[in-house]
Amino acid sequence: MLSREVYKALENVVGPENITDEPGILDTYAYQWGVEVERAARGEEPSRFGCRPEAVVLPSCTSEVQAIVKICNEHGLRFKAHSTGFGAWGAVSGPRTILLDLRRMNRIVKIDEKNMYAVIEPYVTNAQLQAELIKRGLTHHLHGAGPQTSPLASHTSMCGPGFTSVSTGFSGRNLLAVEWVLPTGDVLRLGSLNFGEEWFSGDGPGPSLRGVMRGFMGALGGLGVFTKCAVKLYPWPGPREWKVGGVAPNYEFEIPPYWRMYVINYPDWDGLEEAYYRIGEAEVATIAMSTSPEGVATIFSATRDEAISRVLEYAGKIQKVIVVLVTAHTEREFNYRVKVMREIIRETGGMDLIEEGVVKVRSASYAEGVRNMWGSAAFRFTSCFQSTHGGMDTTAMALRIAEVNRPIKLKYIEKELIGDDRGEGIWTTSFEHGHFQHLEVPTVYDPTDPESCKGFADYLKECNEADVQHSLGTPFFIIGDELHDWFGSYCNNYQVWLRRIKRAFDPNDTSDPGHYVSSKGGGRDVAL
Amino acid sequence: MDGLKDYEKVMSSCVRCSNCKFIPALQVKSQRFSTVCPAIERYNFHAYSGGGKMIIALSLLKGRVRYSDELVKVIYRCTLCGGCDVSCKYFFDLEPLEVISELRVHCVESGAGPMPQHRRWIASIEQNHNPYGEPHEERFSWMPRGVNPRDSSETVYFAGCTPSYRRDEIARATVKILDAVGFDYMVLGEDEYCCGSPMFRVGARKQALKLMQRNVETLKKAGVKRIVTSCAGCYSMFKVEYPRYLNTDFEVLHVSELLDAMVRSGELEFSKDVPLRVTYHDPCHLGRNSEPYIPWEGELVKVASLVYIPVPPKPVRQGAKGVYEPPRNVLRSIPRLELVEMERVREYAYCCGAGGGVKSAFPDFALWTAGRRIEEAKATGAEALVSCCPFCATNFKDALKERGEKMGYYDLTELVLKAMGGAV
Repeated sequence: MLSREVYKALENVVGPENITDEPGILDTYAYQWGVEVERAARGEEPSRFGCRPEAVVLPSCTSEVQAIVKICNEHGLRFKAHSTGFGAWGAVSGPRTILLDLRRMNRIVKIDEKNMYAVIEPYVTNAQLQAELIKRGLTHHLHGAGPQTSPLASHTSMCGPGFTSVSTGFSGRNLLAVEWVLPTGDVLRLGSLNFGEEWFSGDGPGPSLRGVMRGFMGALGGLGVFTKCAVKLYPWPGPREWKVGGVAPNYEFEIPPYWRMYVINYPDWDGLEEAYYRIGEAEVATIAMSTSPEGVATIFSATRDEAISRVLEYAGKIQKVIVVLVTAHTEREFNYRVKVMREIIRETGGMDLIEEGVVKVRSASYAEGVRNMWGSAAFRFTSCFQSTHGGMDTTAMALRIAEVNRPIKLKYIEKELIGDDRGEGIWTTSFEHGHFQHLEVPTVYDPTDPESCKGFADYLKECNEADVQHSLGTPFFIIGDELHDWFGSYCNNYQVWLRRIKRAFDPNDTSDPGHYVSSKGGGRDVAL
Repeated sequence: MDGLKDYEKVMSSCVRCSNCKFIPALQVKSQRFSTVCPAIERYNFHAYSGGGKMIIALSLLKGRVRYSDELVKVIYRCTLCGGCDVSCKYFFDLEPLEVISELRVHCVESGAGPMPQHRRWIASIEQNHNPYGEPHEERFSWMPRGVNPRDSSETVYFAGCTPSYRRDEIARATVKILDAVGFDYMVLGEDEYCCGSPMFRVGARKQALKLMQRNVETLKKAGVKRIVTSCAGCYSMFKVEYPRYLNTDFEVLHVSELLDAMVRSGELEFSKDVPLRVTYHDPCHLGRNSEPYIPWEGELVKVASLVYIPVPPKPVRQGAKGVYEPPRNVLRSIPRLELVEMERVREYAYCCGAGGGVKSAFPDFALWTAGRRIEEAKATGAEALVSCCPFCATNFKDALKERGEKMGYYDLTELVLKAMGGAV
């Protein structure tokens, strides 16, 4: 329990309304999606309740974050910050840790239309930012976690592929200048921000620190607190008014004039792979992603019942598909892009299932796609899934993950430990002109069934091992000392350098290392 | 029924995604009006969100925590508006509103709740048949002279406690309209008791059910087949909770539905212009929370590993069947009245702040929430806010006064009466 002295010191920073150590309130921070899998992997009873923070504080600005971090340093406490806090990595991983809920830091600080960047605080959500940008004819990269999550969290601290990655890349590619409260409480201003009040670049003269602060996958909150960041913006290919009508669940979106959706089917991966290269190179798509027939059913449905009936309808009619959204600003551009798509489909041997009448697309599905809501559709069948693999490398490699994964997944399906998707369940999205690809394997498990949690944890471990064995890139969930030590041993021991970074910035591991690495190693084994 | 235990799987399935804090993402048109939950917006800790309360309930059920004064406040600083429920159900098969209601029952039955102000209300209902401590014999003292409901009818106008004792302009306007069109209805007079809502909403379910049972017997004895209310709270009780718990089959109409039907049939015609630019606030209990509860008695049929299909299909109560168009239709039919919409409407409307016992136990929070909604109403350029709920009326009027706003507030019935050339 936190001493009254420390509690008082924290309370002096944020005010009495913005700190709590009430156990029931703290439990709403101890509970996280995915903790049950971490616990199962450690041989503990699966439960979404993990470590309870000593206290939760709600800072409102950078100086308050600094003061809290300094108090933690002075009193030998750890801290963890999260924005919306969605996933195990949003929780504290051990005792004597203060949680900073950054909810009150929710300002869109600046939208620079001319230089096409926006400066945001941690609790601005994807939907909020996009809504404000659309009014200005702009949009940003929305990462796959959903419209209700924080672009700052993803841009600074995770990898962040999204449904529009073919046109907007992934989060790490979209980060510009950053305001960073280091684990010591000092503030570091990265890139152009260090030389004035401009946020247009993440790198200033001299070595870049972006690699240090987030690298490829991000530090998942293990290296201080990011209090502001600038993100790149893109032209919005639609009207400046977002028009959605109807009553839930039957919302209707006024589809802009130069938008067209495709669901292109291929009998095998070869045609699909070629199509990804061609679509990416031609720069004609706003969305280019693949999923299973079940995935197609759910993203284009308004309800679970509709999704179930579509699954039955699609049986045998969908093999390997790319879902593509083409958008344009003018009729001429649109006609050109549609023509290009027609040629690509023809030359790669694809078939547009929308044109064939196999797949029907609700108008709302267009809006859900660009608002990055399709990922949440994976919850529709059972309210619970988690992903395995997650490599972000060449398209050929990503598609190889799907092949390698299938027999592993089928093994666990046969044991009835995970949901049956015939081993076909994937989500893949392309970036870097189609030549790079992210592929993860969404997998249903039952969070209330210990056997299922354990089964999923075992499956995840086997997937990680397969990624090493078949050289399938860096999986999503190489998190924590033990997994980094294991995975690093196959990858030039990168974890040694990661640990040196941690040591240089945070020698006492004040910034919760549980989902990153600890400065000295030998920290808690975290599977997710 | 086993209280919170019945919801253990639901509570354990929350993924803490935070969708419950915002309107459905597809409807977000600005950052300013993107939120749906007043409690999390005002108090910020995750515990205040719909998902947060599901976690608290799970934690209590598993014996991880006990009720503290602070935790009880978290549970009651919630208007039960159901906004979280609509947003959650966009993708999830969960029941945040059901869990929050059950959590309040658990809180009361554990002796920790409700709040002291609620206890006073409950005591008054048991003694005076209204929560306000007012004499029961004065319940219908608002009835205007010259208005004479029938002695008996299959249709009753159930005035409710708040229109009777606090917002009598609504009750008066309602009966004047009904009288003017020659509508066949009766009132219960001294036989009308509180509908039970103030007890039911704060978790005193056993006491509420006793009162509801008494009301059913009274209504049946009077030969009532149809109940008309001008109170959204009474409406939601009769429409949703009475059939759910007492298996009643009364036809239940909100006055806005009745007026809409009369306008469409030509029974109700307007002779006066009402040159006013108004925006309409959807009361939670007339909108999303008035969708009837349809019990599902099927089974989950396993079709593959961990894949279950509900047979027959399980109805999803997502607010789609609330009363949204009737009040709007009536407003649109009033000469020279212009209706402009706020960003958050219908099933994802922002709450007025008064419901769930908040107005009595946490009046500052209630006014704070109303202030947020008034800001949204002002952003439309409307001169007046219109709604169909006496609770919303009281809270908005209090907030408008406190803030020194010029914006007016009208109940739908008041505007209808104006357009008919009458006065309250």
